[in-house]
Amino acid sequence: MRSFVSPLVRVVRPFTGPQTLGNSPLFWVCWLATVILLVLLPVFGSRYQIITASNFLISAILAMSLCLIWGYCGILSLGQAAFYCIGGYAYGIVAMNLIDRQGNTDLAIAAGIAAPAAFAALIGALMFYSRLKGVYVAILMLVTSLLLGLFMRQTADPSYTIGAAYLGGMNGLAPAKASDPSLPSIILGFGDMTLEFDGRGRSFYWLVVGVAISIYLGLRWIVNSSFGYVLVALREDPERTETFGYDVRLMQLAAFCLSAAIAGLAGTLYTAWGTYIHPDGFSVAANILVVIWVAVGGRKDLTAVVVSTVALNWISIELATWGEISMLMLGFILVIAILIAPEGVFTGIGAAIGRLTRRGQSGGALDIKPAPAASNMMPKRS
Amino acid sequence: MGMMDIAGQIVSYTYQYFDNFGFLLLSGIGLIVIYGVMGVINMAHGELMMIGAYIAVSTFYAGVPAPLAVILGGVGAGLAGMIIERLVIRHFYNQLLSSLVVTWGVSLIISQGTLFVLGPSIMNMPTPLGSFNVGPFAFGIYRLVMFATAIGLIAGVWAIFRWTKLGTQAQATMENPTMASALGIDTRQVYTLTFGLGSALGGVAGGMFAMTATISPFFGQNYTPMAFITVVVGGGANPILGLAYAGLYLAGVQTISSNLVNEYIGYVSVMAAAFLALLVMPSGISDFFAQRRTRRMQR
Repeated sequence: MRSFVSPLVRVVRPFTGPQTLGNSPLFWVCWLATVILLVLLPVFGSRYQIITASNFLISAILAMSLCLIWGYCGILSLGQAAFYCIGGYAYGIVAMNLIDRQGNTDLAIAAGIAAPAAFAALIGALMFYSRLKGVYVAILMLVTSLLLGLFMRQTADPSYTIGAAYLGGMNGLAPAKASDPSLPSIILGFGDMTLEFDGRGRSFYWLVVGVAISIYLGLRWIVNSSFGYVLVALREDPERTETFGYDVRLMQLAAFCLSAAIAGLAGTLYTAWGTYIHPDGFSVAANILVVIWVAVGGRKDLTAVVVSTVALNWISIELATWGEISMLMLGFILVIAILIAPEGVFTGIGAAIGRLTRRGQSGGALDIKPAPAASNMMPKRS
Repeated sequence: MGMMDIAGQIVSYTYQYFDNFGFLLLSGIGLIVIYGVMGVINMAHGELMMIGAYIAVSTFYAGVPAPLAVILGGVGAGLAGMIIERLVIRHFYNQLLSSLVVTWGVSLIISQGTLFVLGPSIMNMPTPLGSFNVGPFAFGIYRLVMFATAIGLIAGVWAIFRWTKLGTQAQATMENPTMASALGIDTRQVYTLTFGLGSALGGVAGGMFAMTATISPFFGQNYTPMAFITVVVGGGANPILGLAYAGLYLAGVQTISSNLVNEYIGYVSVMAAAFLALLVMPSGISDFFAQRRTRRMQR
């Protein structure tokens, strides 16, 4: 057992620490098994299951973006879907304009990440540098999302075209002229070499799995790094963090932009998945879903958020067969979950498993020691 | 342009200004009362308005006169609000972000529950009172009644805060909840009654709006974005003054920009104006004035 575990311990050390649940070798063995199952899903799953699983994982990426700012940094955004949709629209518009000329969607993906990040930088600078209250930030983000949705709804007029892309109002993004290309799925290209990922196929699913795992590990690394410690300090006590010499506003802005970029990436994948983007993504319902996934799972832990997002998405689909009750049930799940487990259902389960296993193996010789974070935690002066 | 056209143009601007102002006051008043006393921004405010609107419309068609129907809408929404407060909100005092999320969940339950029970059917109610003409423009009289009602409600809330026992207790609770409860004030009861009052004001607003728009389970969502902006700009230190200042300011911006360009640009300008105001006064207009007064007194 030890010989198998110790190299694993070394590999996962950067991703472990007190800011995340799941630091034991047992967790990582289970994690690895889950990843292998995910990768093998196309072998034993049906086409419908693969398409659905792609969507679930895209949702999980979006949920992780909210988890980063709300759970770790203490900034609640009730308009996280706005970044998702801005990313989606940016990807679609750039892709439709460049696909004929370049043959790939590399730049479109970059736009899908950069556009929401830039928007977050602008609006976040206004909010954090005026030291707006947290509640106000939350509300203003929602209002921003709703107003963007209102704008997109009224773009049915033919004058709303950007090159080859027609915004299309309630019908969603469409080609400007019949001769223009339709919204493409992801095509990665390096010169003449191109890799196409059709949203309905296995390759796209594997791409999404890869992206989701990278984002998950990347965020685990970030929140357990010294930057992550500062983010948690901001959540716990911004004033004290400031007296330690950190520029609170800049840190909040950085986390906000990073979160928007990740949400934009999720939106990009979503648009490529369905080759479709629609103003309803800015609506109250879209925004509240993200908050439900994160709040029910446990906003302060990435793993809990991913698990709850997949579970709740699955529940929604199952409920949809019973009629239009899935949103109603999600509302009940949210309220009851917050009343019973304010820190999140899956965080609670995770902590309980942790307690049980620790009691099981006395001493915990196999516990992975977290990366020595204290040594690189010198305050950065700005 | 003839004399009557110019007069009509002036009346038109003034009328739209008061219409927008009244809209912001009506949709924001219940929200800001709750925010001011409890520090909670009630995300279910739009759904309480929807409850008020449904009650007003159904009682109106059952033969109740329109003004009474609106009041019944307010009573119904107020009771619903008190139930919500007792069941859910009281677990989240002093947890601002959690109370936002949980009230949002409640709003989802109410709107989706209404959709489930009543279906997506829309109802409406005729706009009463007709119109008057100035030059080539026609103006609905009902909009003026809405504005007058908004002013009446604000005066009423002011009177409650100024002259009733609940008002005094609410002010003490706003100032310092721990001290207030140490002095024998039942702050929990104050919170429940405040939430009920705020919800009732939302219900009355919903009933008033029901006569100008079609109502559906998602009726409230048409009003909450502007209500939220008004409350955020107004701040919670002095709910009534804050609401009035924010309304005066934002309605001006909206009237001018929606006339010059279009209705959508009107909304965006309101948002931009809100950000501008918050740059100068990060916690809202009334907090800004309250802080300045405190500083002057300390000097």
